[in-house]
Amino acid sequence: MASLIPCPHCGLRPKEEFSIRGDASPVRPAPTASDESWHRYVHIRDNPKGRIVEHWHHALGCRRWLVVERDNLSHEVFGVTDAADWAKRKEA
Amino acid sequence: MSFMPRHILEERIGDFGRPVHADHLTVLRRPAIASVLAGGPVEALSGMAEVSLRPVGPGQWLAVSQSLPGSLLAESLAAALAGLGAHVVDQSDGFVLMHIAGPNVRRILAKCIAVDLHGDVFAIGQAAAMMCCHVAANVARVGADAFEIAVPRSYADDVFEEIVEMGREFSLTSAFDDA
Ligand SMILES: [Zn+2]
Repeated sequence: MASLIPCPHCGLRPKEEFSIRGDASPVRPAPTASDESWHRYVHIRDNPKGRIVEHWHHALGCRRWLVVERDNLSHEVFGVTDAADWAKRKEA
Repeated sequence: MSFMPRHILEERIGDFGRPVHADHLTVLRRPAIASVLAGGPVEALSGMAEVSLRPVGPGQWLAVSQSLPGSLLAESLAAALAGLGAHVVDQSDGFVLMHIAGPNVRRILAKCIAVDLHGDVFAIGQAAAMMCCHVAANVARVGADAFEIAVPRSYADDVFEEIVEMGREFSLTSAFDDA
C-alpha cells in the first residue's frame, strides 16, 4: 500500500481506501445549455499528463468526497480538499 | 420465553476451554452501538458515562457502550441531543465489536491496517474509520496495547478469520467476552 493520500479529515491513508470518480475540472452546464455542451460535459475528457484534479471518495474512511490535486506521472500529491469546500472556493 | 440472539461468530469460536495467550482477541457478545449524525459538534455527549464516542467523519460518530442495552443507548443519545437536529440510529445488530490486545497487537494489525497505530501518533481514546482486512471498520485505541475494531456484521466472519490468521505467528487466541 504505497500510494498515500492525505485526507483532510482522516490523515494519511492508502489509496485502497478510496474510489476515484475521475476528472474534477468539467463544470456542469446550465440545464438549458445546448446538447453540444452537455455532450462535452458528460462524455468528452482530456487525457492530460502531469498535474490534474480528480474527485476521490473516501469510501472506507470518512465517506466524504474529496478533490485531489496530483501529478499522474510522478504520483506527487499537491493538495486534498473536501469537495464541499472546493465548490465554495470556486463560487467565491 | 426470552429471545436469545445468536452471535454471527458463534460457529467460529467454540467454547471448549480454549487457552488465553498474551495476544488475545475478545469478541464482545452484546455491545450497544449507535451511529450519530449531527451538523455540528456534540459536546452534549461528552459527559455521558459508559459511552465512548468514536469519530467516523465530519459530523458522524459511532457511539459504543458495553454496559447499556442497545435500544437504551440510542434513546439516551437522542435525548441528550434533542433539539440539535441530530440523528441517532441503533446499530447494535449491524456491527460486530472485537477487542484485540497484547504485546504484538500492532504487528498483527499492521498486516491488515495501513494506518500508523504507533503509541505516539494514535493516542489512547483516539478512534477513526479505516480499512481493516479490506473492510470499512472503525478502530479505536482503548489501552496501551489494546484496540477495538467495529465492523459491519455481514463482514465480521471474514475479518475475524483474517485477523486470527494474521495472529497465528504470535499464537493469538480468541474467545467471547463471556466465555
Ligand atoms: Zn477521509
